[in-house]
Amino acid sequence: MCLGIPMQITEINGFNARCTAKGVDRDISLFMLQHEPIEIGDFVMVHVGYAIEKMTPQEASSTWELFDQLLEAEET
Amino acid sequence: MPLTAQQWLDKIRALPLPSKVKIMNVCGGHERSITMAGLRTVLPPNIELIPGPGCPVCICPEEDVYAAIQLALREKIILVAFGDMLRVPVNVSKQEPRSLEQAKALGGDIRPLASPLEALQMAKQNPKQTVVFFAAGFETTTAPVAALLAEGVPDNLLILLSGRLTWPAVAMLLDSGQAGFDALIAPGHVATVMGSDEWQFVVEKHHLPAAVAGFTPDSLLAAIYSTLRQLIDNKRFLDNCYPQLVTPSGNVTAKRCLQETMTIEDANWRGVGTIPASGFRLREAKWDARIQLPDYASEKRQRGGEMPPGCDCAKVVLGNIYPNQCRLYGKACTPRTPVGPCMVSEEGACRIWWAGGVRF
Repeated sequence: MCLGIPMQITEINGFNARCTAKGVDRDISLFMLQHEPIEIGDFVMVHVGYAIEKMTPQEASSTWELFDQLLEAEET
Repeated sequence: MPLTAQQWLDKIRALPLPSKVKIMNVCGGHERSITMAGLRTVLPPNIELIPGPGCPVCICPEEDVYAAIQLALREKIILVAFGDMLRVPVNVSKQEPRSLEQAKALGGDIRPLASPLEALQMAKQNPKQTVVFFAAGFETTTAPVAALLAEGVPDNLLILLSGRLTWPAVAMLLDSGQAGFDALIAPGHVATVMGSDEWQFVVEKHHLPAAVAGFTPDSLLAAIYSTLRQLIDNKRFLDNCYPQLVTPSGNVTAKRCLQETMTIEDANWRGVGTIPASGFRLREAKWDARIQLPDYASEKRQRGGEMPPGCDCAKVVLGNIYPNQCRLYGKACTPRTPVGPCMVSEEGACRIWWAGGVRF
């Protein structure tokens, strides 16, 4: 449950946002990032449905690569 | 251009390493990356990477899991908890349910969730029922619970809070004088939320090398390299090898939410005992399932250090032994039939080692 997942924001409605990652869409909370300007298209690190920090697209993609490798390692 | 994992590995191999160095991590996510990327097999044999107290499910006090089971069976409530918590066993007689999963089979309305937002949704969809959210976790999970409360929750949502701070467990190990490790890799997402400054005590008070790491092999290897260089050069500083997300002071809103909704108190850790100022407590009685409903986590059940008979989870959690040094590992205890919480949780060291193919 501590697994952080990078997601890209596609819609913002107050503190709620629609996010996407690898074709999966989720509603998440931006409540803990209210001190930062957040825009559609930004990448955020999401923990149990809450964005905990903004991140760069590069960092998001390297974390996704890691997940792909981890999943592959666990399946084999 | 940042260095690749291979370049960090080459730099580590080129160091004049001491004969033996033990580096502890305190995060299930770190242990998962280390195991799945096979870092132990590619690092020089004199570097040992030992998993420590990095699994919130594993250290969640037995009496809290017991209390959740009793609430679900005896009170007219819906109990929601993170999926991992449903299979954690408690010590009871054979006739009694020993996990939330078994309590569910006996008719308890118990549902797994993946986010505190789902607990809110559940409470809103069932306004006439009380929903109890059994919230066990470290700072990365407890801060979202605090954010949920700070934003406002309906009266029918109660929290059975079992939140813990990570750094006091490391402080306790170091204060004991028998920590058994030479350097620390500090948890990347705990530091993202709480700030890396929390870990300064490791270098300042205990003069141990420390570095915050992210979860990719290159970030973990950078942190391992940093701590080794600090040992060799006899210099100490808290390095930040995850600057993409981690700042010295952390997430200000998350910390404010925690401050507004919770206080810090001494708390029991399963297999460890009481650690000073290591647990979160709800500020408002109206949120607190322990106050609004009968408290089944009675003092009689608070037997610090208790794990299931024969199970060495307590030693695994403290980094005293490796998972495969437990007598039950892979024999009586596997992910299919877990005996101890370290084999249940996705973040438990035993479960991670088993998933990573470590057999005996």
